[in-house]
Amino acid sequence: MPEKNSNHDLDELIRRRTQVELPVEVEQRLRGRLMEFRARVEQRPPDRWRTLAYSLMHQPALRVMAMAAALLVAVTVGVVLIPRESGASQVFAAAAAQLRTSPSLEYTIVLNAEPYVAVDFSYLAPGYRRINCSWGIEVRTDGATGRQIVLMHAARTYLLESGKQVESQANIEDFAGQLRSLPQKADEELGEQWTGGKKLIGYRLRNAPPNGSIPGLKALDIWIDAGRREADHVDITVQERGQPAHQMHIRNIRVGAEVNRSLFDLTPPVGYTAIAVPGGKERASESGSSQSIPVLQARIALGAPLTAVVMPMQGPYARTRSALQAVQSYLNTLHVIPAGPPFGRYESERNWDAGYPVPPGTSAAAPFKLISLPATLTASAGVNGGWGQDSSARWAAFLKSVVEQGYLPAGPPMEIWSGDDAQPAHQSTEMRIPVTKAQ
Amino acid sequence: MNDRQREYERLIAPIEDRMMRAVWRIGRDPNDAEDAFQEALLTVWKRWDSIVTHPNPHALILHICINAAHDGLRRRVRQGKWIQEGAIPENIPDSSASAVQDMSSAEQHGQVLRAIGLLPKNQARAILMHAVEEVPYREIATALDCRESTVRKHVARARTKLRTLLSNLIPAVHKEETSNA
Repeated sequence: MPEKNSNHDLDELIRRRTQVELPVEVEQRLRGRLMEFRARVEQRPPDRWRTLAYSLMHQPALRVMAMAAALLVAVTVGVVLIPRESGASQVFAAAAAQLRTSPSLEYTIVLNAEPYVAVDFSYLAPGYRRINCSWGIEVRTDGATGRQIVLMHAARTYLLESGKQVESQANIEDFAGQLRSLPQKADEELGEQWTGGKKLIGYRLRNAPPNGSIPGLKALDIWIDAGRREADHVDITVQERGQPAHQMHIRNIRVGAEVNRSLFDLTPPVGYTAIAVPGGKERASESGSSQSIPVLQARIALGAPLTAVVMPMQGPYARTRSALQAVQSYLNTLHVIPAGPPFGRYESERNWDAGYPVPPGTSAAAPFKLISLPATLTASAGVNGGWGQDSSARWAAFLKSVVEQGYLPAGPPMEIWSGDDAQPAHQSTEMRIPVTKAQ
Repeated sequence: MNDRQREYERLIAPIEDRMMRAVWRIGRDPNDAEDAFQEALLTVWKRWDSIVTHPNPHALILHICINAAHDGLRRRVRQGKWIQEGAIPENIPDSSASAVQDMSSAEQHGQVLRAIGLLPKNQARAILMHAVEEVPYREIATALDCRESTVRKHVARARTKLRTLLSNLIPAVHKEETSNA
């Protein structure tokens, strides 16, 4: 009895000293975690077979029978029916089949993380496609009716096209086509990893899928959510001869999910100006005004690397001239002679820069910045005339030519200006943009 | 409502408050408690399919929460954090009786937890489940997947050690009980 009392006293002491109220702010934090957890549980795929197995195994009377039955099933399935196919191979095959047959597909290709350069793709059967680039260009295509709209959001202009040209462009397979034509088996299994509560199994393809070719492809690593048997993300390593390897990433893959149909709307947004295409059947008339578009042929080639001092900018592009003057003054103080004509790179009005190429070994201090752009596949075209003249129209023509040649923009656009500042008639502009093969 | 939603309603919803309190009682630091709670939820997620079919899922989930919080407690005890935090400062700003009482209570709380943090894992978790969460021996045994006699043995050994470590506090309980009466 004394020992019982003593136990009671001790338990009481522990209970009392640990009975504390949960502060409201802590409860809010923990409830937040619970809500995240609940959402994750509700998305967890059902596992009826495992549930059945556990329920059998927890009934002692049935344990022997269940084990015998499981053994029999395992032997039958493992030895007789699928003797050569591993579980991991089945996961890959299931994900590949789902990609092939799914009526919709959405994903983001991250071409560069810093600065963020990415393209969002949306596909919806039978032929709706949308490509939305982080640098403000969007292409919406309806393959069934052969119509397409190219939106240049920065310039608030659009190009509406239809006919055979669009049909041929709609047939250009992008990464969606490659994802939708994965082979039945991968070349290599990369093992498992846990990310965000998900078990991912990695697979490597050393060659591009049948519907596409990626120049310099070294490895295409597909990570599949083992629970849902769906592609989670893809890492693509590319290394062209004599060039350093670089990686692209396909993220936010959504297979078979409901796609917002307004993404494929071909109606020009309010306030956008149409750009008319010479010889094009359909001329935009909705806005009443239109810009004429010159005929331009983009030249695709491996661009040279560039080292430059730039002034990082945000705000209206009209401040380009003052940015260049600041860089020029700074280079004068360093006694550095520019190695080429001035240029501007325009990702968005929140993030752009302008500057001069400089010789190797030049340094720069804030607010100026030294940048080194690697050699990369680049589209370029030159136009004569005053700098900034017909900017929207010629960029539209230039990008149209890029897409027609089977390439997609893969980075911010750039303009390089040559000529005499005082004589617009003797000025010329080179348009340049990094590109990647669309198939 | 799908199967998973029903499972959550059956397994977690009824004991959400108990889970949070169980972690907080042992953690007593907002960041440590949140870390321990997240760790516990991760374990529950990984073992979800076995929890669904467990004969006493609530005891098992509480056990997982206590384990996670106790791991944090052991780390803190090893680092000597409790000793510093539990100490009474030399200058108590408010010298009224209630302030001193509060301070004393906080010190005793720290001392109890520190003592539990010094126990071997099985003993600590068994005594926390039994004395703090008031889970019956049989249910603790189911959660720990061991015999009831084993749980009793862990609790008995824990009590023996705690009695020594907390000998100065045990009379205080008698005293409080007497004064309350």
